[in-house]
Amino acid sequence: MHLRWPAPHGLLLPVLPVAGFERTRGTITLLLDERTALPDLVRLRPADEARFEGPLGRGFDIDARARHLLVVSDGEGFARVRAALDEAAAAGRQVTFLFGAPAASEVVPSSLLPDEAEYVVATEDGSLGHKGSLLELVPVYEAWADQCIASGATSLLAALAELARGRDDRLGVARLGRRRGRHAIAQPRATRRRSWLQVALPHEAGCALGVCLGCVVPGSDGPLRVCREGPAFGSSELAWERM
Amino acid sequence: MSIDLAPGRAGGLKVRHGVLVAAGGAGFANELLDALGDVTPGAIITSGTTRAPRRGNARPRMAALADGLLSSVGHPNPGLDAVLRRLAPRWGRADVPIIVNVCADSAEDIGWLARRLDMQPEVAGLELDLACADRGRGGLPIGLDLEASELATLAARAATDLPLVVKLSPLALDAREIARAVAAAGADAISAVGPLPALLIDDDRRRARLGTSYGGISGPALKPVALRVVYEIAQVVRIPIIGIGGISSLDDVLDFLAAGATAVGLATATLADPTLPGRLGAELETWRRNHGISEHRELVGTALPRRRDRGSLRATSALS
Repeated sequence: MHLRWPAPHGLLLPVLPVAGFERTRGTITLLLDERTALPDLVRLRPADEARFEGPLGRGFDIDARARHLLVVSDGEGFARVRAALDEAAAAGRQVTFLFGAPAASEVVPSSLLPDEAEYVVATEDGSLGHKGSLLELVPVYEAWADQCIASGATSLLAALAELARGRDDRLGVARLGRRRGRHAIAQPRATRRRSWLQVALPHEAGCALGVCLGCVVPGSDGPLRVCREGPAFGSSELAWERM
Repeated sequence: MSIDLAPGRAGGLKVRHGVLVAAGGAGFANELLDALGDVTPGAIITSGTTRAPRRGNARPRMAALADGLLSSVGHPNPGLDAVLRRLAPRWGRADVPIIVNVCADSAEDIGWLARRLDMQPEVAGLELDLACADRGRGGLPIGLDLEASELATLAARAATDLPLVVKLSPLALDAREIARAVAAAGADAISAVGPLPALLIDDDRRRARLGTSYGGISGPALKPVALRVVYEIAQVVRIPIIGIGGISSLDDVLDFLAAGATAVGLATATLADPTLPGRLGAELETWRRNHGISEHRELVGTALPRRRDRGSLRATSALS
C-alpha cells in the first residue's frame, strides 16, 4: 500500500510505499534511501509534524492456508515487501526472504528484517552470499513455498512470472475444480489470493488517486491502475508481454 | 448565485460558481464524487472519451516539471458506450453538472459521440476537444486548422442540443480566428486551453522521457500561454470562455477572469488536491462580497484593452 505526501509539493505528489506498521503503537514505517529520497522528508525529526494521505491501493493478499511464504526482492523493491515480511512472521508463517543486489554494499542489513525470517542473499559480484542472479535461487524454494511475493525491477518480476507459469507443471500440481474457460474473469481479490506469485509494482508518476491514468499497466483483462487496483497484483493479472 | 455558461441555449448550463474541474483532473468523476463531501466544484468536465475503446499511450505517461507536468496519457477509456453504462447512474446522483469531454478524428465520430450524449439525461454538456491529438492529422490537433475546427463544431452542433463547449489548442497561430469560427458554428462556450506539446529527454540521454516521446505541458508553466489565448479570444467572441491552464490559487482565478474568462477549470492542481476547485469557488465568492462586487460578471474582462475615447474594446493580439 502507498501513502501520498502533499507537502511541500503541489503537483505530482511523492508516493511512498508503506514498509511497515504497528497497530498497537500506531506507527507507520517508510524506508528512504538518503541518496535518492526527498530531502525534506529525510530531514524530518521526532516531534516534527507531517501530513500524509492514505492508505492507497491494494496490498498483498496472502492465502490464510499458506504456511510457507517466499519473499523476493531487489534493492528497489524492498520497501514494498517489508511490511508483508513483518505480517507473515507475526502470523506464524515460515518466511524465507531472497534478496539480490549488485554487491555486498547494497545488501539490506538483517536488522531491518524480522528475526524469524530466513535471509538468503545473492550478489552479482559474489561479495556476499550466492554469486549470481537472485533468480537462480528461486527454484530451490518453489516447491517449499505455498506462495511467493515479490517486488523490484520489471525484468525481475517478469522472469519470476515466467517461472511461476511453469511451476504447476514442474511440480505436477493438479488443477482442481471446474475449468471456467481461457478468458474467465475472476474477482481480483480471489485471483490474487489464489496466485502462487503476487508482485508489487512501483508507482510511476501520477496522482495516486486513480484519476490521471498515468500509472496504468497492461492487464490480462484490461488496463490496471497501479495506484488503485495495485500496487500488488497476482502475476496472472498482468500482461507481461506488454509490460 | 449561479453562472450560466451557455446563456444562448435553452436551459443553459448553470454552475453554482465559476471554478470547474477541467478534463484530466477527475477521470470520469466517480472517484472524485465519492470524495468531495460538501466541497463541490462548479462542474466537472470528464477526461476524454472516444467512440471506440482506447488503450492509451505507452508508459511512462507522466513526468514532473519544475512548474508543471508533462503528460501523454492518450485518452485511455473503454469507449463512450461503456463509460455511460458504468458511470452515468453515478453522475445522475451527483449534485454537480457533468460535462463530457470527447475526442475524435472525424466529423462522423464527432456526430456519433454528440448524438449518443444527447440521449443521456445525466449529462449537462459536451466539451469537444480540439486540442487532443488527431491521429488522422499525424498527431496534430484539429484545433490548428480553421476549416477543420469549424467542421468539427458544426458536426457536434448538428447532432445535439446539449450545451456545447469547444476546447482550443494553445498551438493555434491565431486563436481569434478559431474562436470566431467555432462560435459562429454553434459553440455555446469556449474552453482555453489544452496542454502545450513539449518533450523531455531521459536521464540516460538515449531516448525521450515519455513513452510516446511527446507530451503536453500542464500546470503553472502553462498559465501565461493560456492567459494569452483567453485575452485574445475574449476580444472577439461574446460567448463565455472557460480559462484553463495552471490555476491553483485565487489569484490565478482572478487573473483569468480579468483576462476575459467567465469561469475557470483546474486539472493538474486537482490531481494533488481534489477539494481545491470547490474551495476556490467558495473563496471567490467570499472575495467578491468582501470587495463589494455585486455580480460575478463585473470581474470578467477587467484587464482587456479599451479604446480610451469610447470605452469599448480594442482588439489586440500577440501577433500584432
